[in-house]
Amino acid sequence: MNAMERTKALMAPAGPPADEQVRSDLRGGMLHALSPEVDGLQPGHEIVVTMSLLRQTQSDPAGLAATEAPFSWKPVFVRRSLGLAVVEACATGRFRAPAAAIAPIASEAVAEWEHTGWRTYHWEPWLAGLAPGARATVLADALGWATSLWSAFDWSMFITMPQLGGADDQWVSPTSPAVRLKGRCELRLAVAAGDVSSPASGEGRGAAPLALVSVSAGCPGPGWREELAFLALVAALRSPARPLPARVVGVWPDSGSHGSVEISIAALEGAMDRVAAAVRARSEARLR
Amino acid sequence: MPNMLVMDMEPTADCSQPEHFARSRRLQAWHPLAGKALLDRLRITGRPRPCADPELAARLRAGIERSLGQVPLSSLEVVTKGRLNRVLTCEDHRAATEFGTGGPSVAMACGALVDVLFRQLMTVGSIGDAMADGMAALAVDDHRRDLVSWIDHLGAADRAELAAEVARQADGISRRWPILEPGWFPRTQQSVRTRLLEGTIELSGRVDLAVGRPAEGAASVAFVEIKAGGRRVEHRADLHFYALVETLRSSVPPFVVATYYSRTGELDVDPVTDDLLVAAARRTAAGVAALRDPSSNTWCPRCLAPTFAALGNDGERTPTARVKGSDR
Repeated sequence: MNAMERTKALMAPAGPPADEQVRSDLRGGMLHALSPEVDGLQPGHEIVVTMSLLRQTQSDPAGLAATEAPFSWKPVFVRRSLGLAVVEACATGRFRAPAAAIAPIASEAVAEWEHTGWRTYHWEPWLAGLAPGARATVLADALGWATSLWSAFDWSMFITMPQLGGADDQWVSPTSPAVRLKGRCELRLAVAAGDVSSPASGEGRGAAPLALVSVSAGCPGPGWREELAFLALVAALRSPARPLPARVVGVWPDSGSHGSVEISIAALEGAMDRVAAAVRARSEARLR
Repeated sequence: MPNMLVMDMEPTADCSQPEHFARSRRLQAWHPLAGKALLDRLRITGRPRPCADPELAARLRAGIERSLGQVPLSSLEVVTKGRLNRVLTCEDHRAATEFGTGGPSVAMACGALVDVLFRQLMTVGSIGDAMADGMAALAVDDHRRDLVSWIDHLGAADRAELAAEVARQADGISRRWPILEPGWFPRTQQSVRTRLLEGTIELSGRVDLAVGRPAEGAASVAFVEIKAGGRRVEHRADLHFYALVETLRSSVPPFVVATYYSRTGELDVDPVTDDLLVAAARRTAAGVAALRDPSSNTWCPRCLAPTFAALGNDGERTPTARVKGSDR
């Protein structure tokens, strides 16, 4: 599938957003699945579930017990946010290709921080303090990432510009300890409603169906469908302010792969099972 | 043999007179291509560019899987160019393929530094103090921590020698490589991967430079590997492996693969053809078979002796190495 076909598939009409009753049922179902997994754990230590944790639970459960290294900035932590800014600058016509945008966008971010003290991306002070060679490496990483996303779609086909990045969707369970679900996607796009005869009510009614795009490294693993549905699950749980995504598209540039999941109750239940399994594995790793 | 730059050099004056031709040949000492000529050498292969051909990709994939017996493994086996070279080379010649897999050396440090400097040049368009820029770039890469420490502890004479060679090669690439058009989508250290046999075998590579908008019809991407050392027979096979992985992952091969030797400025160029891809698929299948079964019958391409794997001595067959299995 080329960029044009992929864009067409992303923009294809989708079912209407689920109603508030569906969201309420999902919250109940998620709590029901989580409660036994956190029983007996010491309160206070929040368990954070991300798509990355879902993958690790399947591919390397033993690694969950490893001690996490303290945070320090690395090029990999910059490439997504800088890459998204680069793609946005190209999508809005400011630059014609990522390679032209990367250096100006990074310099502008640093200059803005130096001028106002405001850190849009958080990495500005780190990048500003790097020697030229290290800075070039950071830019090169982000450029590769941005070029992958930029080439994955035909941006001239979008009728309305997708939202690039933005805050992660989050939902925190009222359990003890709390379980925080964090869903991160790269694009959010309103698509046309398909089957208008489907019942839709509540606050989601009238809103256009939403499609999400997630970009990942490597190759899709065996559980990629549930992993993509996880993003819709978190969006559904968090609040009724945004419509429940109707479709989640995954792009794996390294392997030239893509996949799409139409969000249904069954898909969301599959994601819930993976969340419960991840929390169980994380809990067991803590108890070891 | 790959097409060498020297083969492209054309006499610039009337060469109808024999004496003129001889004098011209004496005066025209070979020199590396630079600027537009270097890009033209990459872009103009003299062959039609391959077209997107999902059937070819499917045939290559099926051919590899068929030769492996289509029996999936229980764990993921990551196959890189380095693992293929090691497993397809006999013990006597194995040392030649182990560059970069043992402890650090001045040659390895030089290669790593030139790699990051080339990346810098392609991204920001300039290199300052080569040694300082290169060391700063390596310092933000966790995988290079041991190498950075090793370089930091070099004696003054060795470090000066390394810095001089790095500066010389950085100067060469800065003078010869033009700034690439942003519209050509230049990207460095591009990861290319594809999985076979129900996802249990992953062919994986990282290309120093990919140029060209990802193809949709005719092939439009060129792959370039940068080598700071001398020419080795494995270099061409490495690139053919990358061409195969790209074909399997995108259904469109790169139209050309090339190795740029930064020490001399030589550029070896291979236009990608169906025959090249089929040969790469056969070699990859043989390598994967040898990795999976050390008793499989493979032979060193240098001397036709039984390969290292055939001797049952592949030191990388631990579960950890299987999953990580990276060259870098």
